[in-house]
Amino acid sequence: MLRQSPLRLSQLQASVPWIANKTPAFGCLSNKPNSRTYSTPAKKNGDNEPSLRNPRSLQAIHLKPLKREAQFGIPSCDLQLRSFSLQPLQFFSDFALRAAYFLGLPASGPITLPRITERWTVPRSHFIFKKSQENFERVTLRRMIQIKDGNPETVQLWLAYLRKHQIYGIGMKANMWEFGTTEMSKSLEEVEAKSLESAAPWAHLGQTGSIGESDKAVADILNSRRVKKAADYNYPIHEIS
Amino acid sequence: MSMFRAKKLDLGCFVKARTIRDHTKRKVFEEHEAERQALRYVIRNTTLPPRTRATAQLQLSQMHCYTRPTQIRNRCIMGGQGRGVLRAFKMTRFNFRMEAMAGNLPGVKRASW
Repeated sequence: MLRQSPLRLSQLQASVPWIANKTPAFGCLSNKPNSRTYSTPAKKNGDNEPSLRNPRSLQAIHLKPLKREAQFGIPSCDLQLRSFSLQPLQFFSDFALRAAYFLGLPASGPITLPRITERWTVPRSHFIFKKSQENFERVTLRRMIQIKDGNPETVQLWLAYLRKHQIYGIGMKANMWEFGTTEMSKSLEEVEAKSLESAAPWAHLGQTGSIGESDKAVADILNSRRVKKAADYNYPIHEIS
Repeated sequence: MSMFRAKKLDLGCFVKARTIRDHTKRKVFEEHEAERQALRYVIRNTTLPPRTRATAQLQLSQMHCYTRPTQIRNRCIMGGQGRGVLRAFKMTRFNFRMEAMAGNLPGVKRASW
């Protein structure tokens, strides 16, 4: 009884106008019901026009994020969020789920991945006082959100959107998969063409640079003036076949 | 070596002779890394003529010692110390403790378990 009472009060407060809050909470609930607490907003605003409800999208903010159902269940993107503190992590994973919903992506999660705990033990002062040491630790919390059956372009859009609205203290890591047809020769060509195409939109997402044609680069280095001069060579050391 | 050293100070951390030296070594190594790897490849490739490989060997051994990766030593960014540097924070254990207690390292807390 006692445990339930604060719950009921909070439910009442949501529907009851502000005056109801002034009533002594514990006294009234245990002894007799206060008549004022049960006055509904409809009664109070009876003579006025009925109050407009908030739009559904606004109401949804206070509820769990909506999710779309995957038709085939083929994973297309794994997003991992990392942080040292829980609150921003939960907030941002919630945000990511909502963004995925409104982009029409079926998302699952957030899956709680194992925490990464790093510990360091350091002496408090000079090395001769090794007896007294101190421990420090850093716990990395992780969440994973998986997108299923996502259109690669939409997934990219989603990732870019998350990147744009990134909040402090949150790290992101994403793995993306694309699927092609079963015809090998055709699909390989397509994949190559696609990878070239997708290089441009991905440019701002990663920090990778292209190495170029490594064979040619090595040959160039070997045949460079510096190496030849050092090795006293007059013909190319390394030739590409 | 002075020929490798930058003419203008290009270091943002704690500066002393040893940190500058280490920084120079890092830059020189980076510059010559591809060349070193290429020579190593030539030396190990048994399909190449022995003369080529021997020359490559000579050439590799004649490269400046600053181009070797083993010359690089991690140093503390706060005090330039060369020992007891924590890799994750690039700091000596004592500087790490100071910074951690001041709350300058995100996520690092005193632990007890």
